[in-house]
Amino acid sequence: MPAETLLPALDPMPIPGPPWLFHVLWLVTFAIHVVGVNVVLGSSLVGTVASFDRDRAFGRGVAKFFAEINTWAISLTITFGIAPLLFLQVLHGRLFYSATVIVAPAWLGLLLLLMAAYYLTYLGKYRLRAGKGAALPFALSALLFLCVAAIQVAVHLLSVQPGRWEGVLAQPWTLLADRAFVPRFLHFVLAGVTLAGILLAWIAVRRPPAEEERANASARAMFGVKIALLATVLQLVVGLWLTISVPREVLLGLMRGGGATMAPFTIGIFAGFGLLVFLARIRDPFADRASVRRSIELFGLAMILMLVTRHQLRDIYISAAGAGSTPATTGQWGVFAIFLVSFVLCLALSIVALVKSARDRPPHGEATA
Amino acid sequence: MDYPIRDFAMGGGILIAVVAILHVFVSHFAVGGGIVMAALETAAVKRGDRPLRDLVKRSSMILLLLSTVFGAISGVGIWFTIGVVHPAATSSLIHTFVWAWATEWAFFLLEVVTALAWVATWDKVSPRTHLLLIWLYAFAAFMSLVVIQGILGFMLTPGSYPATLSFRDGFLNPTYLPGILFRTGVCILLAAAWMAFAALRENDRTARARLSRILGSVGALGLGIAGIGWLAWERALPESVQRLFLGEKPLLATLATARSHTFRMFLVAAVLALLVTLLPRLQSWPVAILALLAGAGVLAGYERVREGVRKPFVIAEQMFSNGVLVSEIDALNEKGILSKAVWATKEAGGRAVSTGEAVFRAQCAACHTRDGYLGIRKIASAMDADFAVMFLTAMRDDGANWKARAAGQAVRPDYPFMPPFVGTDEELNALALWLASLNAPAVAEVTRAR
Repeated sequence: MPAETLLPALDPMPIPGPPWLFHVLWLVTFAIHVVGVNVVLGSSLVGTVASFDRDRAFGRGVAKFFAEINTWAISLTITFGIAPLLFLQVLHGRLFYSATVIVAPAWLGLLLLLMAAYYLTYLGKYRLRAGKGAALPFALSALLFLCVAAIQVAVHLLSVQPGRWEGVLAQPWTLLADRAFVPRFLHFVLAGVTLAGILLAWIAVRRPPAEEERANASARAMFGVKIALLATVLQLVVGLWLTISVPREVLLGLMRGGGATMAPFTIGIFAGFGLLVFLARIRDPFADRASVRRSIELFGLAMILMLVTRHQLRDIYISAAGAGSTPATTGQWGVFAIFLVSFVLCLALSIVALVKSARDRPPHGEATA
Repeated sequence: MDYPIRDFAMGGGILIAVVAILHVFVSHFAVGGGIVMAALETAAVKRGDRPLRDLVKRSSMILLLLSTVFGAISGVGIWFTIGVVHPAATSSLIHTFVWAWATEWAFFLLEVVTALAWVATWDKVSPRTHLLLIWLYAFAAFMSLVVIQGILGFMLTPGSYPATLSFRDGFLNPTYLPGILFRTGVCILLAAAWMAFAALRENDRTARARLSRILGSVGALGLGIAGIGWLAWERALPESVQRLFLGEKPLLATLATARSHTFRMFLVAAVLALLVTLLPRLQSWPVAILALLAGAGVLAGYERVREGVRKPFVIAEQMFSNGVLVSEIDALNEKGILSKAVWATKEAGGRAVSTGEAVFRAQCAACHTRDGYLGIRKIASAMDADFAVMFLTAMRDDGANWKARAAGQAVRPDYPFMPPFVGTDEELNALALWLASLNAPAVAEVTRAR
């Protein structure tokens, strides 16, 4: 049956605002979510590698660092995942729902994997705090996060290609047969590893440590830089692989988009190369703190530009499949204003809460909570 | 309805119920925990009450793990599940209420940040800062309830929304405020019930009794608020539903039964709350477990009744639970349900699906499974094809009543808990034959006996 026949009709309910507004909100909230995803994925992987380090004290120290980060990062990542999911459903609900129904067991199973990975992270954290090893919980949680990432990538690819729906419903394993699946998945994973490595290095050198801590901090920073460098080198190969794996008409669509599509894509690639150069130059992270900081900035730039490209590619995929649409719109500006005020208020209060939590340290002898 | 269809062995409705029930317990505890722990920590700081402060501290980690981990993931889980089981309804709700959900998300963000900060700063920050964190958490958690109740209430009692299509009319619907009142009470009740376990871990017997007494009275307060909320909620329901509660239709006794069970749970929870308040030394693990189960039973009963009252709609007076819109009944009777439900003939794994079974998947499978929950084989066990045709024809005729009711006329459908059958004669006959074929030998025996 032709894919157009199987495409659900557009929801007759108009969307409550202009599409551009949802695109902007989607992209902004998704960018924050992806930072979290990278931290969580990368931290769990690098933490696992560190847990198996022959220098047990060093390995556990690094693993503990990532465990402490991850218990916060996972919560915030899930929370920041909700908003883009909302806006995605407004704009591409019929594609998204259809794909998730077709792979429902994996899609719903993702929640169990996520929950298990989260609790394993807490288990690892408390084992490390108690001075015990945590390689197994970390390895398991990293494996589960990888599965979650794989499911997300597969569902995304399926949702933008309605022509594959009928085949995947009949033979579920063909979900993974998309040529772009493996490079796209690796692209995400390597980005996470790069960020985790740079983060480890940056936190280690951010402030000059006490003299007795310097050797340990330097070792951590160098470990982070090496991991990030290796992941970035691999990323360049995977990036090329991903580019040639995308369907021809989609790639052509990207090129025909002119400056609007080619500028973010090209600058993003250059930012990746720049990141590689800065990471490769670092010999002593303490002496070259500027390069470590610049690496973070370049990673951020490359990530944001690649997200823009990803967003554009989605639209090109959808257009190529003949599934594009112009939904009817209506204005709910009053409710939108309530959302905006609530969001600004909650964000401000969150910042106040975090700043107060970090700064308020009563002098010795005074009461604490 | 024009979306791909997934057959769940347990039934899509049960799948949603399992995820939703787990989530509502945790999310209500998360809201109530904020309110109760903020109040108790404030009292502890003012009075310098160490045991009370320790009680809150012992309870805080559970709040964090349940609220930010299980609550967050199961909340997303409800979304995933309804999107898979009722994609059309989910899409419709998203289009109407996306800004409300986005607002709830903003409060949830504050909730998660403050929960993490609050738990991480015990013994580190000043009491004043710590109280600020828990009160911010309580505010954010309660506000998320205030927002989400508008959507939940809308699905049950859309008020004048179908006529005006105004967000405000849909959000501030007749069961909005009573629902908030009821849920707030249950939140407080569940928080007190959860915290009772932390109180039992207090080593000093006198302090333990005092803490149990405090939590007993907090639970009783929550129960009182929930009781008032329930009564107000029932009064806000349409009169026809209230009559069902009183057993007007003996064949549809489920609602009245669920309501009676809920009242029993109310009673058990009230007796236990008073017992612990008046005789706190009787507080023990079995009593605490029973109280928690009773509190959970009150909430589960409410959700069961709420879901029951909403049937056969997923969005009242607009969309039936199988995704058929009231507005498309005539068109589907003319063109056939399979003209829209093109995926009904396609099953996971590629098995061939007959026309009758495809009609079942398109119209009935949202609520009925083949052999599990509301199993159609059992329901159709005494039907032969002729009887099934007669029954389905009557259900198709009922479509006119549903349309008239949605248009505001005082008409009562003959099958108030079932969507009407929609489809052509050929589809109706195919479904009837398929239903009869499910129990072919048994029906043959009945026919022979006649």
